[in-house]
Amino acid sequence: MRKSHPVRRAVLATAATVSGIVLLLSLKPASDPGAAEAAGGAAPPAAAQSPQGGSQPIGDGTVTGDAARTQYGPVQVRLTVSGGKITKAEAIQAPKGGQSDQVTSDAVPKLNQAAIEAQSADIDAVSGATYTSTGYKKSLQSALDKARSAAGGGGGEAQAQAKTVTGDVADTQYGPVQVRITVAGGKITKAEAVQAPKGGQSDQVTSDAVPKLNQAAVTAGSADIDAVSGATYTSAGYKKSLQSALDKARG
Amino acid sequence: MTTTLAGGRAARRQTMRRIRPRRSPAVPLLLAVGAGAVAVLWLWWSNTPSIADTTGKIVAAGRITGLLAGYLMALVVLQMARVPALERRVGSDRVARWHAMSGRYTVSLVIAHVFLTMWGYALQAGKSLGDIVDQTVTSINTLPDMGKAAIGTGLLLVIAFISVGAIRRRLPYDGWYHVHLLTYAAVYLTFWHQITTGNEFAVEPSAKTFWYGLYGGVTAMVLWYRILTPIRLNLRHRMRVEAVIEETPGIVSVLIRGRRLHRIGAEAGQFFRWRFLAPGMRFSSHPYSLSAAPRPDLLRITVKAIGDHSSRLRELEPGTRVWAEGPYGALTAQRRSRGKVLLVAGGVGITPMRALFETLPGAAGDITLLYRANSTQDLALWDELAKIADERGARLMYAVNSPDGERPDISAESLKRKIPDVDKHDVFMCGPPGFAQQVYEALRGAGVPARRIHHESFEM
Repeated sequence: MRKSHPVRRAVLATAATVSGIVLLLSLKPASDPGAAEAAGGAAPPAAAQSPQGGSQPIGDGTVTGDAARTQYGPVQVRLTVSGGKITKAEAIQAPKGGQSDQVTSDAVPKLNQAAIEAQSADIDAVSGATYTSTGYKKSLQSALDKARSAAGGGGGEAQAQAKTVTGDVADTQYGPVQVRITVAGGKITKAEAVQAPKGGQSDQVTSDAVPKLNQAAVTAGSADIDAVSGATYTSAGYKKSLQSALDKARG
Repeated sequence: MTTTLAGGRAARRQTMRRIRPRRSPAVPLLLAVGAGAVAVLWLWWSNTPSIADTTGKIVAAGRITGLLAGYLMALVVLQMARVPALERRVGSDRVARWHAMSGRYTVSLVIAHVFLTMWGYALQAGKSLGDIVDQTVTSINTLPDMGKAAIGTGLLLVIAFISVGAIRRRLPYDGWYHVHLLTYAAVYLTFWHQITTGNEFAVEPSAKTFWYGLYGGVTAMVLWYRILTPIRLNLRHRMRVEAVIEETPGIVSVLIRGRRLHRIGAEAGQFFRWRFLAPGMRFSSHPYSLSAAPRPDLLRITVKAIGDHSSRLRELEPGTRVWAEGPYGALTAQRRSRGKVLLVAGGVGITPMRALFETLPGAAGDITLLYRANSTQDLALWDELAKIADERGARLMYAVNSPDGERPDISAESLKRKIPDVDKHDVFMCGPPGFAQQVYEALRGAGVPARRIHHESFEM
């Protein structure tokens, strides 16, 4: 029987909802720590950067990836490679202090384990440790790149010049697309999408279109590739990111 | 017939029950709903590492409003699933008000979600806010399940429009109600795009499981409590009209005979939604309170002939089949926390009060009934009330207009004069909104705490 005030209630509900959403949005960082790192840090050839890493042999030895900056501190991965396989992965640097201690002690062993199991940087993020996981994957990728280029260095002369460049993120309606290419001897030897639209219909479109686009990029050696039909947005984003990667590789 | 109702076996058994005040589960329920909303926001938070620019913020805001709308939509439906814990413990009236309030809020979120998402997508595609309609058409054509979602949203908007107070009052209740039932179709149609295009559900499989669980659970509740429970009740009890009795000019009682009616577990103060399977009445169901404690073979409702439906009750033939759903309502002895009880009835609001007057446990002098009507002729059921008062040693008072039409004085002072210890009473009240408001203020003025004034109001 208390008097109800419908107008006051509506105004309060609207104000509370709007300010809650604005607050949530403003608390999110402006850019993905992983993506920013990729755009900024991947341009210089990965192999030449670390004196430690570049000289590691592939056979039995260790290779240390570049340190990846994250919001909570740097992450750096060291791999022990034996017989062309990762036998050990460890983080020689990881976020420390406060909450991070716990997150690190929880997530890093899982990431180490995942790296050994996957034998690649294609590992799942540990939930609750998104930033650390992203940094870990970046450093792991750089360690793997080094190990590969070191291995290639023994075999051919052109491969020694190989570098991996990651293009800028291209936003599409269905999500971001980001392309990473490996350039050797002035040619694209490998193209892959490190980010592509996910979710619902997108999963299928992505799994269908991305391999075709990767192939097309290697074949064309430039960003002048045809769009895959049925994946117009993804193709457009892919071409944009590919172009930016090529620009970086040249520049 | 009426005299036998006063001393039924079920009635006597009810009087043996002890006073056990039960708290309404409203607060824990609202806390649970809040926790769910936080979980939904956390889902978005944990799946969004960063937001690049203004476009990203607009899309993210569209996602947040969409997630919240999807979550609340399930709860809005749940509130009308006639779940006994809500209907009998929180109270049907309060749940109906929650439903209306949360429904309005959810529709607002849906509108915000559509607008923000389409605006954000237009910007991502290199277009501007002016191309939002164009972008909406493109999205409907290219994204999975968006056609269904668009139809569902359209339905929701129509339903919201006809539920606006001023428009709803102009529509016949049955027509409004049947259009309102289309909400189920709308919710079904909009559900699928949440799963197939929702970012959060693609990334996080556990979120998808949670969402299926939420909607599956609500669907099960609706099927169980709105469809299967009434079917079982009516197959078991097979109710038919026994007799129709004119109590006063304009007020009729309907006696309903059925099998083992005490097994329904109805209490004094509760109501059923009744559907009389007679020509012109079978498509509408109306809530009427029991006006006597339920007997194993008979139920009684008392109705004032104000609406189209209630006027037709007078012409019901004995033997007409009755479809009942219930019992609902929380205005029962369970609300009571004190030994002394004051019942206040305004007009036909006497019906649940009459049942409580008969059955509320209490010694002589504990129970008081104050009955307000326009004139002594309008005091329906007066004879049986007087008989109950006599048998129980309860107090019975009435307040009617003076012969020249002047309203009786109902104020804090007059209440205290008539019932000196009124502030020691639990008060149960039923009557028209204006009257209920007046009595409520008088009671508060006389020192009765708000938590001890029990009232049901179906005003939105």
